[in-house]
Amino acid sequence: MASAIADTSFLIDWIRYSKSRLIFRLFEVIYIPESVLTEIRSERSLTWIAEGLEEGGLAIFPELPDISREALNLVARSRRLPIRPVDYPEAFCLVAGRRLDLTVLTENGGAIALASYDPEYSNVKILRGIDILYLLWRSGLINSFKDELEIYQQETKHIYSRRDLDRYREHLK
Amino acid sequence: MSEKILKEWIERFKEAREIRRRYANWDFIRSQPPKIRIALEYYVETGDFRTAAKMSNMSVDEFIEIAKESANIPTVD
Repeated sequence: MASAIADTSFLIDWIRYSKSRLIFRLFEVIYIPESVLTEIRSERSLTWIAEGLEEGGLAIFPELPDISREALNLVARSRRLPIRPVDYPEAFCLVAGRRLDLTVLTENGGAIALASYDPEYSNVKILRGIDILYLLWRSGLINSFKDELEIYQQETKHIYSRRDLDRYREHLK
Repeated sequence: MSEKILKEWIERFKEAREIRRRYANWDFIRSQPPKIRIALEYYVETGDFRTAAKMSNMSVDEFIEIAKESANIPTVD
C-alpha cells in the first residue's frame, strides 16, 4: 500500500464527508505537514486528525529544511505565471511527494496546475476527492461511484467542474 | 509552459469563479462587517481561501466553514 501526504485544501473538504474514514483503507499512512496542521483549528477537523493520529492512519510530517527550501522556490516560480500560484503548504506537499514518492492529496487548483505544466513535477501522483471516491468504489468500499459523488458534493459543498466530471464520464452514466 | 496549457488553466479558473459567483449568497455577504465581506468577495473572485482567511482574521477552516455554510460559496478548483 502506498503512502500519501495531504494538504489543507484536501483536508478541509474531505473531513466533512460522512465516510471520510474510509480513506485510511487506501493508504498505509497519510502524512500531514506541520505547516498544514497549524492552519487547522476547528473542532471537527482537529478531532478527525487527532483520531487519525491515535489510530495510526495519520502521521505528522516534519518541516525538513531542504524540502522547505525547494517548496519556497516552487512558490516563487509559480508566482511568475498569470494563473493561480501554488502556496507554501501545497508546494511543500508536492516537493515531499516527488522526493519520497508519496501520493499528494490536494484540491488546490494551483498545485494541480503546477503538476501539469512543470516537467519536474509531472510524475508526482496527485489525487483529489473525486479520485479517492473512484478508488474506494474500485476497491469495493462504496457501492456506487455516481451516488457517492453526489453525496460527497452535497456534504462537503465541493463542486466538481464539467471538465473534472468528464474524466469519469464512463463511470458516471 | 505551452500556450495551450496556459489557456486551458485560465479557462478552468474562470469557470470555477463563475460557479462560486453563481452559488454565493450575496445578501449574506453584503450584510457582513467590512473585513469579512471583503474576504468573502475576494474568495469568490480568486478561490484563494488562505489569503481570505487572513483578511478576516480567521483560521483557514473556520473561514471555509463560514464561506460554505453561511455564504453558500462552494469549493471549486
